[in-house]
Formats: sequence, C-alpha cells, structure tokens
Amino acid sequence: MNDMTRQDPVDPPYRYPEYRSTVLRAPREPLVALPPNALDIPGPFVPKGFVRDGESDLTAQGRSAPLGEKMILAGRLLDADGRPVRRSLVEIWQANASGRYHHPADVHEAPLDPNFHGVGRALTDDEGWYRFVTVKPGAYPWKNHPFAWRPQHIHFSLLGSAPVQRLVTQMYFPGDPLLAIDPVYNSVPDAAARLRMISTLALETGIEGIALGYRFDIVLAGAKATPLGP
Amino acid sequence: MAAQRTPSQTIGPFFHEGLRWKDAEKVAFAETGQAIVLTGRVLDGAGEPVGDAMIETWQLSPRGRAPAAAAGASRPHGFARVETAKDGSFRIETLLPGGPAPFLDVAIFARGLLKPLRTRAYLAREEMVRADPALAAIAASPRIKTLVALSAGDNAYRWDVRLQGDGETVFFAA
Repeated sequence: MNDMTRQDPVDPPYRYPEYRSTVLRAPREPLVALPPNALDIPGPFVPKGFVRDGESDLTAQGRSAPLGEKMILAGRLLDADGRPVRRSLVEIWQANASGRYHHPADVHEAPLDPNFHGVGRALTDDEGWYRFVTVKPGAYPWKNHPFAWRPQHIHFSLLGSAPVQRLVTQMYFPGDPLLAIDPVYNSVPDAAARLRMISTLALETGIEGIALGYRFDIVLAGAKATPLGP
Repeated sequence: MAAQRTPSQTIGPFFHEGLRWKDAEKVAFAETGQAIVLTGRVLDGAGEPVGDAMIETWQLSPRGRAPAAAAGASRPHGFARVETAKDGSFRIETLLPGGPAPFLDVAIFARGLLKPLRTRAYLAREEMVRADPALAAIAASPRIKTLVALSAGDNAYRWDVRLQGDGETVFFAA
C-alpha cells in the first residue's frame, strides 16, 4: 500500500534521487488502495482508421531518407499470461541519429535532420506483432549530473486493452556502455527486469543489405478485461 | 504461459509530438449528455507549475456505461489526453459521467515521474464523494478534499493537482 516502503520488483519507485527530477515530483503520502479491478474497464478502443498507413515508417516522413543506421524494430505485445494484446496502439518517439529530438525544448547542440521527426505509431496484429522502420537514435547529454548522457533509447507508449495495462517505457540497445551510468534505466530495482527493457539484435528481422533488425517484446500487466483468445 | 512485465520508465520532456492526438482534449461519446469543462493546474513539491506533464482521463458515459468501441469515430470514446501548458494548466471538455458520485480516472505522466500517478477528479459534492464505497479507506480523511473538483460556474469545474507536500493530492496504488 505504501509505495515509499514497498519496493515494487518491476516498476521504479516514484522517488529516486539519482534522477534529480523525481525529488520534487514524487508524492510523500502513502498511496491509497482502490478496490481490485477499479481500473479494469476495457478500453479505450482505438477506432478503425486512427492509425494511417505509413505512420509506422519513420524514414518516410521527409523528402529523402534520414541520416543514420536504418533499422527495423519489431516485437510482440503480450499480457502477463503471455497472450497477445491484439489491435492495440503502439506509439513511439525518439531522437535522431545525432541525438537531437525534433522538439522545441531540446536545445542540445546537435543537428536536426529535416528528414526525421522521430514519431511513429502502429497497431498490433492478431498475434500481437508491431513493426516500425526507423533509424538508430543517438545518445545525448543531459543535465542530471556531471557528464550525464542518456543511452540510446526509443520511447514507447502502449494503451493496452484496459487502463491497468497502460504503460510508458523506454527501449534500450544491447551492449550500450551508457546503461551503467543512466539513472532512468537503473531506477528499476530488479536487474532481470532492467534487462527486459533492452532490445536484442535480430538480423533476420532486418532487410538484407538495407536495414538492421532489432526485436523488442513488451509485456503488460494482466487484465481481467483482456478478451480470451479463440 | 506467464510472462514477466516490462518496467515503466518516465515519459521524459520530449513526448509532445509523439503522443499528440487531434481534438483529444474533447472527450467523445456515442451518447449525449451534460457538457462540462474541467480546468486546473499541476504543481510540484515547491509549488512550481509542472509545465511538461501529460494527463489522460478515462470515465463512464453519461448513462454510466463503459465507453464502447467507437465505430466511425476519430478517436477513442471516453478518453482524454492533454498536455499541461508552461503554467501547469490543463483543460478538458467532456460529458458528466453517470452515477451518484461521478468522477474521471486520471493518470499523470511527466519528466521526473518514473511511473504514472493515478488519481480521480470527482464531479460531485464532497459528502457524495465520502460515501463512495471505493474510497472507504479514506472516507474520514481530510485529504479526500483533494479528489473533489470545485464548482467554477455553470458546468465548469476547477481541480488542481499537488504532486507533493502541503495539500498533496491523494494518489492510488495502480
């Protein structure tokens, strides 16, 4: 019940002083329990046509190809029972290959790429698969502590099939030496849970001679509301 | 086959273009009902505005039903997604949910929040909120006032969120 004393083995705590921005934004009072399933109303339902063809290809948003290592990013969206979460919205956003976001608040002195906005969305298919075409994002410095650099990452937002499944997370890349010094990544207390945020190199997911492949499966909380498969 | 959950991470400061939906501050329904406007501000533990938060709300329909799949709609029914402005303010247009103590389920995402904060904005008188069985654990607490949106004129409600410290909003275990 009290988040400040009970360490959730999967999610980070609200207060994690190594990540400075948590200090004035983490609640101090104990969290209050709601009755089970209070948030387990199915929805919100994304209507047909909400995601348009082409929104999953982040390399086709400009006049020509963006700079950077082209990559195919694919994976499955699953619930805690290992069942696919079907026709569910996956939204991603990321920095360009130089480590700069197409965003007015990003004043990092790295070049913008006019051919890369770094925003994509997709719906999962009947097996829970999603697939994006993008470029590998660059690492970038931030002001959390001296010599702080965020590891390369792609932000993910998942609606799931009910609010209890709602998840916003970040996907990292295998072998990134910056993971060891990143307080956002390391805010997750359990080492095995941290590893579940790292994609795996999956060459066959890529396109021969054109794009590297990365695989990233995402597991949402279980939901009573999750429709049973046929 | 059980699978292990993927951890939550902060939404960070650069989500706006990635998560912006057209007209998502105006909640759509298949039903008609009483139109209301909810405005407020999000403040941090120093009383400073949280100008880079995203707020999502989810609610029952005016007849008290779970919002159905939205055939032919431009966005999901029953759901709002808004950004706070630099001064921490936000504004949501919706229909009053059904039930004796109607409320919006609220999730707050921001830089510095490694996982969302869950709360409720009740659009009802305080005594009706205290009588909501879901809030039995805090029915007698003075903190319950933080869940009650104040009347701000005809069909207008005002609800501020304090993430930390004096007047800290009640947040729920997810």
